[in-house]
Amino acid sequence: MCVGLSAKVISVKDGVAVIDASGAKREVSAELLDDLEPGEYVMVHAGAAIAKITDDSKTETENLAKEHLT
Amino acid sequence: MSANITDPIEFLKNYDGPEIRIMEVCGTHTHEIFRQGVRRLLSPKIHLISGPGCPVCVTPVNFIDEAVFLALEKGCTITTFGDLVRVPGSKMSLAGARAKGANVKVVYSPADAEKYAEEHPEEQVVFLSVGFETTTPSDVIAVKRAAGAGIDNFSLLTANKTMPGAYEAMASSCDAYIYPGHVHAIIGTKICEDELAKGVSGVITGFTGDELVTALAIIVKKFSEGKPFFVNAYPRVVTDEGSPAAVALVDKFMEPCDAEWRGIGVIPGSGMQLRDEYAAYDARKKYDVPAMNPDYKTACRCGDVLQGKIEPNQCPLFGKACNPDHPVGACMVSDEGACSAFYMYGGEI
Repeated sequence: MCVGLSAKVISVKDGVAVIDASGAKREVSAELLDDLEPGEYVMVHAGAAIAKITDDSKTETENLAKEHLT
Repeated sequence: MSANITDPIEFLKNYDGPEIRIMEVCGTHTHEIFRQGVRRLLSPKIHLISGPGCPVCVTPVNFIDEAVFLALEKGCTITTFGDLVRVPGSKMSLAGARAKGANVKVVYSPADAEKYAEEHPEEQVVFLSVGFETTTPSDVIAVKRAAGAGIDNFSLLTANKTMPGAYEAMASSCDAYIYPGHVHAIIGTKICEDELAKGVSGVITGFTGDELVTALAIIVKKFSEGKPFFVNAYPRVVTDEGSPAAVALVDKFMEPCDAEWRGIGVIPGSGMQLRDEYAAYDARKKYDVPAMNPDYKTACRCGDVLQGKIEPNQCPLFGKACNPDHPVGACMVSDEGACSAFYMYGGEI
């Protein structure tokens, strides 16, 4: 039940976003995020978008490894 | 140990320094660590502990008994995440209550439960509000919508929990935490800095194999250097400030309370309950739910598993009386539970 899904925002209207999570589309609350725009990526938990995702995991992980492991 | 690490997997496999205990406190981390075979990559000197990060696993027996009471004695429609349906209460699970005629419906989100209440005004709909900082905002949004729309047949049975109290309570059980990425997307990183000031180490990370392995390598390397540490290794999702909007929204509707964690006991201030002004949406108050004091005895050792005192297969019930088809303990119910993941992925440690 506590699994977060990353998803692409398709549309936003009146505090509700339609998201695409690996092909599955559904409505979630966008109330917690200001200025959410179609095309952005969000983390969804229990029917609410809780955070914008600002980078891809591969680049971020490579940068962190460079900073902390070398 | 200050040498450059160019291959984190080789580093973790060949680590030969002091023994280290690393606790993850997120059900998704637990599941992904098992599913991706991360444990098989580690040196025998690195011990992973699946701590109290699965909300279903830490939901106490009392809570299930309250839900069964509401379903069978008060005739409420129970709406819930699916994982909770088979969690044992002292007398029966919600699946057992359903077999006795209770109306138990699985929903995807609190918003879906509120919508169901709106569409079924003849039913008294209770949503089982469990989860950590990640889930609580969704519960509050549902109450806010119900209040705004004048829906009076919807309420929450709350067992919401917060992580900082657990960090304190479990600190002696491990040398470092893998902090739950999405909890900190809500509450930010200050609590980790506060823990660091008390000598508690940890790294916030995400859920891919690369992220988990990199986070583990950072933990082991920094642990070997002998100083407490904190690294936010998930900055694409977790910012220093977290989500002030979510924190403010939850604070408007809810307040901290003491909370019982199954198998661990009461952790002061680690729960969340609706404020008095929203009592109409608090199922305990709305339906005068009596205190449940079950005389519940079990050989299940979920509590010891969550505290890292034993591995799941050291419980006498594991794989015998307790398995995913017939769970005795909550940790065997949810895919995010340590016992379930251990059973599903072969128990490699």
